[in-house]
Order: sequence, then structure tokens, then C-alpha cells
Amino acid sequence: MTWELFAVFLGSSIRLATPLLLAGIGEMVSERAGVLNMSIEGMMLTSAFASAVGAWATGDPLIGLLIGIIAVQPVALLQAVLSNTLRANQIVSGIGINILVLGATTLAYREIFGARSRAEIPGLGKIKPPLLGDIPVLGPAVFEQVWLLYLGIALIVLTALVLRYTSIGLAIHAAGAEPKAVDKSGLSVTRIRYGCVLFAGFMASLAGAFLSIGDIHTFTEGMTRGAGYLAIASVIFGKWRVGGTVLACLLFGAATALQFQLPALGVDVPNALLIMLPYLLALLAVGGLVGRQMAPATLGEPFRR
Amino acid sequence: MTALDQSGKTTARFTVRPALLVPIAAVGFAALIGLGLIALIGVPVHDAIAAFIDGTVGSAYSIAASINRSIAFALVGFGFVLANRANLTNVGGEGQIAVGGIAATAVALDGHVSGLPLGLAFILPMLAGVIAGAVWGAIAAIMKIKAGTNEVISTLLLSFIGVWLLYWCVQSPALLRKPMTSSATLPESLEIPDETKLPLLTGDYSFPLHIGLPIAIVIAVVIAVVLSKTILGLRLRAVGLNPVAANRAGISYARTVIFALASAGGLGGLAGALMLLGEQYTLKDGFSSGYGFDGLVAGLLARGSVTGVIAAALLFGFMRSGGINMEMVAEVPTALVVVIQGLIVITLAGAALFIERWERK
Repeated sequence: MTWELFAVFLGSSIRLATPLLLAGIGEMVSERAGVLNMSIEGMMLTSAFASAVGAWATGDPLIGLLIGIIAVQPVALLQAVLSNTLRANQIVSGIGINILVLGATTLAYREIFGARSRAEIPGLGKIKPPLLGDIPVLGPAVFEQVWLLYLGIALIVLTALVLRYTSIGLAIHAAGAEPKAVDKSGLSVTRIRYGCVLFAGFMASLAGAFLSIGDIHTFTEGMTRGAGYLAIASVIFGKWRVGGTVLACLLFGAATALQFQLPALGVDVPNALLIMLPYLLALLAVGGLVGRQMAPATLGEPFRR
Repeated sequence: MTALDQSGKTTARFTVRPALLVPIAAVGFAALIGLGLIALIGVPVHDAIAAFIDGTVGSAYSIAASINRSIAFALVGFGFVLANRANLTNVGGEGQIAVGGIAATAVALDGHVSGLPLGLAFILPMLAGVIAGAVWGAIAAIMKIKAGTNEVISTLLLSFIGVWLLYWCVQSPALLRKPMTSSATLPESLEIPDETKLPLLTGDYSFPLHIGLPIAIVIAVVIAVVLSKTILGLRLRAVGLNPVAANRAGISYARTVIFALASAGGLGGLAGALMLLGEQYTLKDGFSSGYGFDGLVAGLLARGSVTGVIAAALLFGFMRSGGINMEMVAEVPTALVVVIQGLIVITLAGAALFIERWERK
């Protein structure tokens, strides 16, 4: 493999890992607080659709991104109400939301774009950070990325700091591990969990927008194709830690990038096997490749006073 | 099953039960929104409904096709209910259908079964589908026992893997793709031999109801009896309620989990085999096309009852057929049916708390 090809491989691994990173970190925060959102998939799809439509209608991808972010909040709120207030089964309600979103976006896509499918949609621009971007070969191929990625990295660092060093981080952790103690201390478990689900929705909306207006500049029906579930797997793989989740996402991104890279190198591997690879890795990951899992104590259990 | 819920009073039995009323209300509510959406799209509601009805009960063919579809949903739903009794959530129906279809095709095409007597020509491919699905389910069970992996995430990932495995099988001539005679050869398998196709109940292709129906009915009865009347059902329930206590009582957690998930997977595999041997005859990409999720939803809605699964499976089977016809005739995208389904699941998930409170009174 030449350096050029390796640089391209690195660059596309990072690009393909970005939606997983954004959604995965949001989901990790929510799971730390005790709420499992199977609906990450649906939230991403909502945003992928809404931001594509917004960018297409206004001609401005930035407005598209905003519309995507706003559109996901009601979905996240619905999940939060179901998981916390109505104490619904979090898996069932999440899958219900995914089904609803898949149907609704497909329906709306047909109605809005109809025959104009594959319409050119204005996308978010790329930036090349100074210094890093000036490295020969690696610079343009690896670091010239959609700016949303860099915003995402900043958000992830910020999230890590908040989780580790602030009382908010402590409260989130405690809401998942010892909700009764949190309640006795006078904080509202429900409120913390609502906040975390909405945050997961926000991060998933960035992830979804990255898919449609960041990466390929178009929307296709059901375009998330399980990325939300991969994000959830990456949280498990990463043992509910920021660093681990990031590494897991990068691994899944690299596995996906192989799909395009290996054929370019002339390596003859069945295409289907390569498409399957991230899911296979995810399965091995959740199947104990990382050792026994230490999930937040009350993950998936609604809180009752 | 209802006998356990009653607190000694027999009067409760004949009053209106919320567990029945709420799903009906949810379906009604979702259907209303569906009608609203049709109006919003700009299709005359009357035309859409006419197309829907025509697609569901308009002809003998559409009735049989709807029932065949319902059979697949019901089998996946039965599996869900069975595993759920042990507090396990099998969301891997899609992949289990896919591997069931693959195995059935492989045996039907390459298993030298077409000459066998006594119906073995189609029974063996069917069993192959069951075994493949059971293995797919058992993988999740073993992961759960060995590593504590939540079966929701493992069955879901196994689903994706199964679906891509299917894609691989029909893309590769070394596997199940039919011989490539030209570059235009479709990525699908050969048609299975006639002997391996499921016999039709009436022998008439205008009413293609196949032998899967009696099979599904027998399975429904067996599962209902196993769950409510046998030690096995009690074991599943015990493990579901409290695995630690069940273990103390001598019920093996590992064995029960493997049994539950392998059975659920096997039923999914059977659904895939029936779809292939009874209806589609050639294996194609996208073969499972959402059947696993429809079956899952049927299982979810049933709230543990086998009769409930049958009702929900029939509802969805006919709804899908109606939806497909609506798209062809009245130009209403089938996605509308998906929206309605999503609404039903969300409403019921949200109402579970109220149903429980109400039933306890």
C-alpha cells in the first residue's frame, strides 16, 4: 500500500466514523444516566431527512443543519416522555420510533422529491485546518474534512470534560448508577434523564445531518442503514467511556472504509463480506471481546420514586 | 394465562378488558392518522380505501396472499412471545428469516431431496430453515450466557449479518447464484424444483394458500399449551421473573435461555423457509423485506398472548397487502402502512403503564 492510498484510507475511515462518533457519544451520555435509546437510528434518519430538505429548499446547508437539529428534538422528547414519564419499555418504544420515522421520512421524501429524486442538495463545506492540513500527502487526504467533524470533535472533548470534572457529570453518572441516592440528594432523576435524552437527540441530529448534507449531499430512503445501532454497539464496545467509544467508532469506520479500499488495492474479497464487516466486528465486540460488560446499573429501567 | 392475572374474582372475566380495548383503540387511532395522511397527500380517500380493500379481500388470490404473509409474521411473533416469557427480547427476526431462506434454498437446490417420497422433498428444506434460524438465535443465547451481552443488540446485529449473508449468497456464483449465462443474469438463485415447493391446500394457483397454514396452526396450539400448561412454560416464566431464584430452584438459566432464543430463531427460520418454499421459489436480495420487523411488532402487540399474535399478524398481513395495492392503484406509498405500524407500537408502548394499573384494579 502506498502512502497516498493509506492517507485516503485514514481520511475515509475518519469520515465514515464521524456519524457514529457524534451519535455514539450522545447515546453514551444518555446510557450513563440510565436511558437506552434504540431510537438513535430514527433520530439520525429524521435529521438526515430534515436537514436535506432544509438545505434543498433554502439553498443554504447551514439552515438545513439547523432545521435538522430542530426536527429531532420532538422525536427525542417523545422518547424521553415514553422512557421516563410513561415508563414504557425503552427497547419497544425506541423500535416503534424507528419504524415511525422510517415510514414518515420515506413518505415525505416521495411526496416532496417524487420524480426529482437524487436532486442535487447543497452540502456543508470542507475545511483544512492550518498546520495539520499542510502536511504533505496526509494533509489534504486526512485532515480536509467537513467542518461539522471538527465541531463534533470539540463537542466530544467538551462532553468528556463535563462528564469528568463537573457536578453535572457526577449527577449524570449517579442518575444511572444510584438513582435513589440522587433523588434523596434533592436532584430530580427524571429531569437529568430528560436532559440526557435530549442531548443524545442533539448529537444524533448532527450525525444524521452529516450523513446527508455533510457526506454525500443527497438523501436516500432509510439511509442510516443501521448506523444508529452501530453507534449503540460502539457504546457497549467502549465500556460506556468516551475514549473507548471513540476508538470503537473509529474501528467501525475503518472497517467500513475497507469496503472501498480493498477493491482499489486489487484484493479480491467478496463485497458482501466487507459490508458485513462492521456489524461482524460489532457483534464480536459486544460478545465479550472486551471482557464482561459493566453497564450502568439501572440502564433501561425507568425510575420510580 | 389470564387465570393468573385474576385476583380471585371471576366477574372480571367478562367485563371489557383494557388489554384488549387499548390495542383496538391504538389501531383505530393510527388508522385515523393514516387516513388524514392520505388526504394530505392529495389522493381521494375513497379511492385509497377502495384500493386497500381490493388488495386485502378483493379476490381469492389476495386473501390467500395476505394469509400467507400473516403466517410468516405470526411465526416470528410466536417466537418473540416464547422468548419474552423468559424476559428475553428477540429482535432478530429479519436475520433469522434470511438464514432460514438461505438454508431452505440450499437444501432444495443442492440437497438431492426432490426424489424423496412422503413429502420429504419439502420437509427437509423446511427443517434446514428451522435449524439455521435456531443456530442464529442460539448464537445470541450463548453470547448472553458467556458474556452477558444484551440479546437485543446481539440479535439486531445478527440480523444485519444475516441479511448481508443473503446478499452474498445471491451475488456469488460459488454460493447460490444461478449460473451466469450473461452479464445480465440477475443476482438470484435458480428456481427450486417443483417437488420441493410446498403443496397448495386447494391445488389451485388462483388461491395459493399453502400447507404453511396448518403447520402454523399446530405450532400456535403447541406454543399456547407449552406456555400455559407445561413445566417448560413454568421454567421460562421462572427464569423471566427471577433468574437467581429460578437457579436456586434447580432451573438451569443457561439451558432455558438457549432453549428460548433457539426456539424463537427456529420459528423465524421456519418463516423464512415457508416464504421461500411456498411463495417466492427463488432466493433474491431483500427476500426478508421487513417481515422480521412486522413479526416482531405482532409479538410486541400481543402482550404475551398467542391469540394476540394471531390477531396482530392477520391485521398486518392484510394491511401490507392492502398497502401494496394502494401504492399500485391509488399511488399512495406503502410507507404509509409503516407509519401506521410505528404509531401503533409507540401508542401501545406508552399505554402499557395504564393497562397494568387498570388491570390491577
